[in-house]
Amino acid sequence: MTTLGSTLLPWLVALPLVGAALVPIVARHDARRAGGLTFAVALATTALASILVAQLASQGPFSADLGGWTAPYGIELRFDRFAAWTMPLAALFAFVIPFSWRYLDGTLPRERWAPFYALLLLNLGGLLGFSVTGDLFNLFVTMEVVSLSSYALVAVAGRGVAAWAALKYLLLGAVSSLLVLFAVGLLFALTGSLNLADVSARLAAAEPSGAALLALASLAVAFLVKAAVFPLHVWLPDAHAIAPSPVSAVLSGLVVKVGIVGLLRVLQLAAGTGIALEPLNAVLMVLGATAIVMGAFLAIFQDDIKLMLAYSTISNIGYIVLGIGLASPFALIGAFVHVFNHALIKVTLFLAAGAIIHQTGYRTLSDLHGVARRMPQTAAAMAIGAVSIVGLPPTAGFVCKWYIALGAFEADQGGYGFALVFGALFIFVYYVRMLDAFFFRAPVRPEVAAAVEAPWSMRAPVLVLAAACLVLGVLGGIPIGFVEPAVVDLLAALGR
Amino acid sequence: MKTFALVLVLVVAATMVIGIAGLPPHGDPDGPIHTHVGARYLERGVAETGVRNLVTAVLLVYRGFDTFLEVVVIFTALVAVLALPSATRRPPPARGESTAAPRRGSDDAVPVSPVVFFVVRLLAPFIAVFALASLYRGHVTPGGGFQSAAIIGAMMIALGLVFGREHAARLVPHGAKAWLQALGPLAFAIIAFVGWRLTGAFLGFPADEAAHALREAMVVVLEVAIAVGGAVILAQLFMALDAPS
Repeated sequence: MTTLGSTLLPWLVALPLVGAALVPIVARHDARRAGGLTFAVALATTALASILVAQLASQGPFSADLGGWTAPYGIELRFDRFAAWTMPLAALFAFVIPFSWRYLDGTLPRERWAPFYALLLLNLGGLLGFSVTGDLFNLFVTMEVVSLSSYALVAVAGRGVAAWAALKYLLLGAVSSLLVLFAVGLLFALTGSLNLADVSARLAAAEPSGAALLALASLAVAFLVKAAVFPLHVWLPDAHAIAPSPVSAVLSGLVVKVGIVGLLRVLQLAAGTGIALEPLNAVLMVLGATAIVMGAFLAIFQDDIKLMLAYSTISNIGYIVLGIGLASPFALIGAFVHVFNHALIKVTLFLAAGAIIHQTGYRTLSDLHGVARRMPQTAAAMAIGAVSIVGLPPTAGFVCKWYIALGAFEADQGGYGFALVFGALFIFVYYVRMLDAFFFRAPVRPEVAAAVEAPWSMRAPVLVLAAACLVLGVLGGIPIGFVEPAVVDLLAALGR
Repeated sequence: MKTFALVLVLVVAATMVIGIAGLPPHGDPDGPIHTHVGARYLERGVAETGVRNLVTAVLLVYRGFDTFLEVVVIFTALVAVLALPSATRRPPPARGESTAAPRRGSDDAVPVSPVVFFVVRLLAPFIAVFALASLYRGHVTPGGGFQSAAIIGAMMIALGLVFGREHAARLVPHGAKAWLQALGPLAFAIIAFVGWRLTGAFLGFPADEAAHALREAMVVVLEVAIAVGGAVILAQLFMALDAPS
């Protein structure tokens, strides 16, 4: 049965990848064309993603059998509600790319623009592929596309620290990728299949074995590294802080979510196999709560605004992982909604920070005193982002954190609910510090006192994204209603 | 700290070994890998795909999308290297430095021994022929696009080492370089589109006997694109290396 959705689904992945291959060709005479083409591809991909989400809303989840081979003999792409809720991530690329146009001027020599934009599109294609694939080996390959392009995007910034940060990222990322490959091998040996649903069914039919447990554990650890869950986060702060700001936005907002989507796939894989998930959930709860508090705590000591945002990502991933570990309906809904909401907020914050750094040349709080006087719009966007990430109503961050907190009490784990509130207080402290420095201090640097607002191609994405943070707070019920059926299905499959 | 790391490594390794020990016996004909998906590939692979080398059949026909992404990974590696600071051309000589000073680089860093020079020159055509043979016979015998790419790429790198990069760079026409390096992903996209128009499935291959020649042509296009694109990327990765200073 071919429907519009299953026909278009493979092109969702292919479009950005082919676009990436075309970028160096189109830009070989004029590097500036790279940015335009990349933007067009990102917009087209977003449009395609919207059609797919509309299809899902009207007819439910659907699959595409690639090459016409039915699963498990061929590769299946599966568009379920979890995959669908990651589709707005493509739209965030459409904001990051125009921001990069002017940002790259003076940051990156022209002959490296085309590879830079190509890497962004490869990253997007890999992310979308990872979200929609229903095949274990395909999951690994798409993850590699995402990871490889991410390592390079970190290293783009320069030699010194950037090279070291990228190397550290590469080494830890490679260990994580190898664990995934190892697990794929084990699962294939156990079941003779690579299709996720088929592997799950065959594991459920066989007796639970140590090898299956090892495979699922390897996958879980690998994805925890990719998600930078404390204490597996060591690669993240440097990599996210040193990268060019548009890249930081993509890495911190979007790429870490590969780990989260991966974890959800592990849960789907384990559902019905009879393997007890309580130990995994217990670990996730402890790690999540620790990450919330430690990420926020470490962020307080940062003077560099991008480093601070990077630590804040660790804290926010903690919220999501805690929500998954709690495994109650409210907590899972909150966790999954936060996958996109955090991406939106973090992209807003990193782009706003990027605009400020680009216009003033300074990146530490102590140098940026009083920047709001000269860049009121960007600073206001930053403030909205900060309020959102703290989780105050009526912003996009509030909805998710509220649901996760409710979920903690629902799961009779009130202690974690308090950890969550406690973490939010820490987060509040460091964002108040930032807002205080930006809004209420007198400039100490002449460059800051003389700064002007960023050009419109940088300012507009920041302002629109900040507005979206507010809109998603007011209309928070829509994403919750959207992911709820998927969470109910997952919990039913897990026997809860 | 070192002791802790050692203990951790041992514990992880022991866990992995124990886990692997629980797998079905290696080579057991009744094992899941021989009775489920693999069995169908062996049984019907040749008939369904028209490709006599079953590895190629799985690689390009049953699981072509994976191979598309693998080709994208190789392309990503090249773009990644080109995006890095060290990959850009050598900076122009600083002011004060004589422009007439000999340029550093592989060309004149170490003189090449006449033996190496002769052997590489002698072997290059044979290597090229071998690469073509493994490409041409790829859908029947072991071999194929990836192997051929590695062989041609290695040949170009060997020539670059002996003749200097400037000479080797001429093997890849400058104007066509941007196209050639993207050949793999682009060919997959085109074949995927053609397959979609013909069969209704992304990367589908027409199954009926009448379309046998067309199906074969599609496989050959993919193999050639993988070989040429891969070789050009390998050669470019080598060219992009910074000359030792």
